[in-house]
Amino acid sequence: MKKLIACLLTVALALTAVAAMAEGTLTFSWWGGDARHEATQAAVDAFKEATGVEVTCTYSAWSGWEDKMSQYFASDSAFDVNQVNWNWLFSFTNADGSSKFYDLNEVADVIDLSQFDAGALAQCTVDGKLLAIPVSMTGRIFYWNKTTFEKAGLETPKTLADLMAAGPIFAEKLGDDCYPLALGSYDKMILMVHYLECKYGKDWVVDGKLNYTKDEIVEGFAFIQSLEDAHVIPSSETLTGDGADSLDKNPKWMEGKYAGIWEWDSSASKFEKALNEGQEFIVGDYFTDIGEYQGGFTKVSMAMCIANTAADKKLAASLIEYLLNSEEGARLMNSQRGIPLSKKANELCLAEGLLNAKVAEANSKVMAWCKNALDPQFEAAALKNSDGVYADAFEGLSYGDYSIEEAAEALIEGINEVLGA
Amino acid sequence: MTKTGTTAPRGDLRRRRGFSRLEQGYMGFFLILPWLIGFCIFKLYPFISSLCYSFTDYDLFKGAQHFVGLQNYIDAFTKSKNLKALQVTFAYAFMTVPLKLIFALFIAYILNFKIRGVGLFRTAYYVPSILGGSVAIAVLWKALFKSDGVVNTILAALGFESINFLADKSWALFIICLLRVWQFGSAMVLFLAALKGVPEDLYEAASIDGASKGRQFISITIPLISPVIFYNLVTQLVQAFQEFNGPYIITQGGPRNATTLISLIVYNSAFKDYKVGLSSAMAWVMFVITTVLTLIAFTSQKKWVYYSDDDGRG
Repeated sequence: MKKLIACLLTVALALTAVAAMAEGTLTFSWWGGDARHEATQAAVDAFKEATGVEVTCTYSAWSGWEDKMSQYFASDSAFDVNQVNWNWLFSFTNADGSSKFYDLNEVADVIDLSQFDAGALAQCTVDGKLLAIPVSMTGRIFYWNKTTFEKAGLETPKTLADLMAAGPIFAEKLGDDCYPLALGSYDKMILMVHYLECKYGKDWVVDGKLNYTKDEIVEGFAFIQSLEDAHVIPSSETLTGDGADSLDKNPKWMEGKYAGIWEWDSSASKFEKALNEGQEFIVGDYFTDIGEYQGGFTKVSMAMCIANTAADKKLAASLIEYLLNSEEGARLMNSQRGIPLSKKANELCLAEGLLNAKVAEANSKVMAWCKNALDPQFEAAALKNSDGVYADAFEGLSYGDYSIEEAAEALIEGINEVLGA
Repeated sequence: MTKTGTTAPRGDLRRRRGFSRLEQGYMGFFLILPWLIGFCIFKLYPFISSLCYSFTDYDLFKGAQHFVGLQNYIDAFTKSKNLKALQVTFAYAFMTVPLKLIFALFIAYILNFKIRGVGLFRTAYYVPSILGGSVAIAVLWKALFKSDGVVNTILAALGFESINFLADKSWALFIICLLRVWQFGSAMVLFLAALKGVPEDLYEAASIDGASKGRQFISITIPLISPVIFYNLVTQLVQAFQEFNGPYIITQGGPRNATTLISLIVYNSAFKDYKVGLSSAMAWVMFVITTVLTLIAFTSQKKWVYYSDDDGRG
């Protein structure tokens, strides 16, 4: 009897394993907010219905997601299809130069690559291999809570001078805990680079080397510090004390006490949804009084890849094709990952009015303004993480641990270490 | 036929005897084999391989490329972030362990009295221990201690200035310690069991001799429960040096690394910066520190731990 039970259990286990590996099943992972989860899940369900292929989805918010995915990729147990960040294409690389991602040129007969801009595809190409399909392009832009500005008797800022003047007025009319803008450490870094690029017109990193002198970077830090000194942005201590994981989850943003953000164009809907009722959220303009150049960069917002370990690459490619290029996929996913790069999807969304108006407005402004290029190492984990070089430099300055010069030195040293310069 | 008929049972018997001897000699080994295999794969192999990795520049994606000798250990003791983490870990352990032991003993002492609804109180005090370091606890702690949280609201109502607990470099570590101290239930249960084992007649005799309650506690209770104090001390010390969840989910090591413990450096180095070599070295530093402190505790027990079955001191 015991032998029989043991045999039955073994057979059941084997069947489960076979079923899991059976042809016609895929695994798919992504990160995002609730709206993106719902839209993607609906698109995946439509794919299942159209093809009969089972897709197991794993998704979560961004917080902690990169750590988790790095472990999956490092242990060769990544999902078949993955939404990836652009810099992962470079950081998840083996010692022999081989990547954890499958070369999508090999499945060009399944994915219609002609739908994507050649420049964007080039950004996802490493050593001649197309490691991912870019979903959208993105860049940083200001967003304002118009209602709060009106309460302070102000119009939303059109120039840097307007913004600087708004700080003291907010403190006086709305209270010390109200600010025209809120910036985390990484936001400060991107704004500082934008400021310097507007002033000097140079890319931040060129040929793997930092392209700005210490004096120029000191100027950038002085600009960020001036925002804090003029009550334009809250200090790092204030932001940390709010106890929120991110700005869109910060009650002070929801209530309108923080009336501005410097965010990715693809994040507009997330921040707008977070606001309490009765507040008007608008897309800002780039300031023309910073310098004579149109500084700032655009980058691949996110991309879809197939893991090298995927059992059926063609099937995985068919899911990407469905999500990014098919009519039904485009309809369901709309602008949940920014303005679609796929020409087909973009045209369909425009024709049917499916794009979020704020995201579309922000994206068109970003694409029209930003002229600088971005080095993939800009988003390297050692720089960007909550305990990374950017956080150390900007929090150190805000907490008073570093002078402006020391913060600049810490930043330069950390960046050079990552760049291997 | 006859020949075959007589030799076969003898052969069987011999085989059975042989098997029986094998059973006697190796049965224990066979019984622990599943555990042993698990131990070798999931404990021993990572233990040894992490030691080997600690002498290399092992990268999560690039593998071990060079032998770097003691460089990772030198970095562990010279890089300011790692040094700070060592200091913070010691501060955390030396703040948390005594506070937790004192608090657990105090509550256990009270719950040892015959009071109404004592079972309910014991359960209530034990509940935080089983909650552990979860996302729900992180949300609770942030709601309590954020700048406009419950604690600051109470402080403001009492006329005190609010404190930025989560963002103030001095307060943040204390808030993390408080979480661990709050979870004193398991230590409390052990103390409670030990207190119940102290013979009543000793207290009666001491009372007759005129000893006060305080004197009785110091001269009778403490020595008799000292083995449990020792056990709790060692286990809490080890746990404190391995603490990860609290700072990871509540402060992410901030502000300004004020709550970055060694365990966070181990995690961040490996899974955020992909430097497994440095991460392994930090893990070994943590292991050696814990071992040394445990050895000190074991050596010192001869001077203060009372074992009644060992005719005095043990």
